[in-house]
Amino acid sequence: MTATETRGHNAPCSNRDFDFFYRGLESGRLLAQRCSRCATLRSLPSPACGQCQSLEWEEFELSGEGRVFSYTIHHHPPLPGFAVPHPVVLVDMIEGVRLLGPMDGTPPDEVAIGMSVRADFTRRGDVAAFRFRKA
Amino acid sequence: MTHFSSKTAIAGYGATEFSKNSGRSELRLAVEAVLAALADAGIAAGEVDGISTYTMDNNGEQEVFRAIGGRNLKFFSRIAQGGGATCAPLQQAAMAITCGIADVVVVYRAMNERSEYRFGQPMHALPPTSDNVVFAYHGMSGLMTPAAMMGMMMRRYMQDSGATSHDFAHYAVLARKHAATNPQAFFYGKPITIEDHQASRMIADPLHLLDCCQESDGAVAVVVVSAERARDLRQKPVYIRAAAQGSPAGTLGLSGFYRDNIAPYDECAAAGRQLYAQAGLMPKDIDAAILYDHFGPSVFPGLEAYGFCEKGEAKAFVKDGNLEIGGRLPLNMHGGQLGEAYIHGMNGVAEAVRQLRGTAVNQVPGVRTMLVTAGSGVPTSAAILGVD
Ligand SMILES: [Zn+2]
Repeated sequence: MTATETRGHNAPCSNRDFDFFYRGLESGRLLAQRCSRCATLRSLPSPACGQCQSLEWEEFELSGEGRVFSYTIHHHPPLPGFAVPHPVVLVDMIEGVRLLGPMDGTPPDEVAIGMSVRADFTRRGDVAAFRFRKA
Repeated sequence: MTHFSSKTAIAGYGATEFSKNSGRSELRLAVEAVLAALADAGIAAGEVDGISTYTMDNNGEQEVFRAIGGRNLKFFSRIAQGGGATCAPLQQAAMAITCGIADVVVVYRAMNERSEYRFGQPMHALPPTSDNVVFAYHGMSGLMTPAAMMGMMMRRYMQDSGATSHDFAHYAVLARKHAATNPQAFFYGKPITIEDHQASRMIADPLHLLDCCQESDGAVAVVVVSAERARDLRQKPVYIRAAAQGSPAGTLGLSGFYRDNIAPYDECAAAGRQLYAQAGLMPKDIDAAILYDHFGPSVFPGLEAYGFCEKGEAKAFVKDGNLEIGGRLPLNMHGGQLGEAYIHGMNGVAEAVRQLRGTAVNQVPGVRTMLVTAGSGVPTSAAILGVD
């Protein structure tokens, strides 16, 4: 059986807390978690809500829109799967969570803090993925 | 003051040479450093009954213990978080000795980080542990190296503080200036200029090559005993005035991107608050410091977090010469990990011991109290060491 058949995605290093995020990418959705008890959103996956400690949560689809909070341009050493220089951005999503994503396809010198970006979906090899573009 | 403040002391230290290829096993490096530390202290190997090191150290404590001819190991512990561990084994030793669990605790860090494996390589294809799934989640975006993770943090620090890469260059120049007069430093006799820093290749914007620590082979060890015992030994006791770990909310392993301030600040401030309370000291009481420089720019938020200047003021504090020997806070007199070697901060602990004994090559006159810190941008640790 392939990983896609067992977990619904091909991300190489995941566990049962993170699987939903990669499955979302397979269906072209950028997912966060929403606490079922207090409705707090969280992006970096976690089994529990840090606000109310509830273990219950549901998938919450993000719009993909946000503004760059910080960024880095990776130059060295070579990166598996990416051309360098490679921009990576940390984005404050309009829903209020922060999401880290790649911004390849945008010239690195155009990346700036505060710029509006929007996510779109792609595949990298057999792994479903997303990246940000200028909005 | 905390129960263990000044109740224990570093009685000896030892180190191998620092190189790009040690030519021997990591275990041998560890054993050489431990034996040198014991000889320095004048303590027989058979007296060692405690060991504390980093989880990232590849040398089993029982193997080190076997090699040195240990007899009865009663306390052994390890601290995670890579270079964030540095001062935590000192805390472990101080607690174990103060509680009566052990009497002679050895702390070591030994690595062939340049010749056998390199931390700067992209992290991928890892087993799905709780830490690795976070690295992989960020790694799928191409954020795969410590330099890029720190670059993300420092870019935002620059935005908030107004600091520039040119400001960061001042630290690199200082570290290499100190290394240039330290014969143990890899960059002995090789100072750099601001222009050299600015012209060095980009590694992970905003970090240039000369912002990054070296890759090194080598080992450092220290021996901790009770203050009472230390006073009867051959070296001047270097007391552990305070030792703390810091990992406030939102601190993750080079991945703390989800808290308000993503600069390597909060964890340092948290450790600092504990240190000053434990020791009954203030930042103004610190005569000199070893601040962890995995990446030189991290020193800037570190100076602010440990209370030596206000938030955003480190760029002026550094430029004004405060970190020079003879300045307000002489810093990293061994050359730091940019200039001397990268031994996960343990070579900085050794430098603090030399400074406090008055035997350093770049000696700060009259230094009695020093701050030593561990890697930031990860759950961290720090200590205040002092002499009478
Ligand atoms: Zn909740």
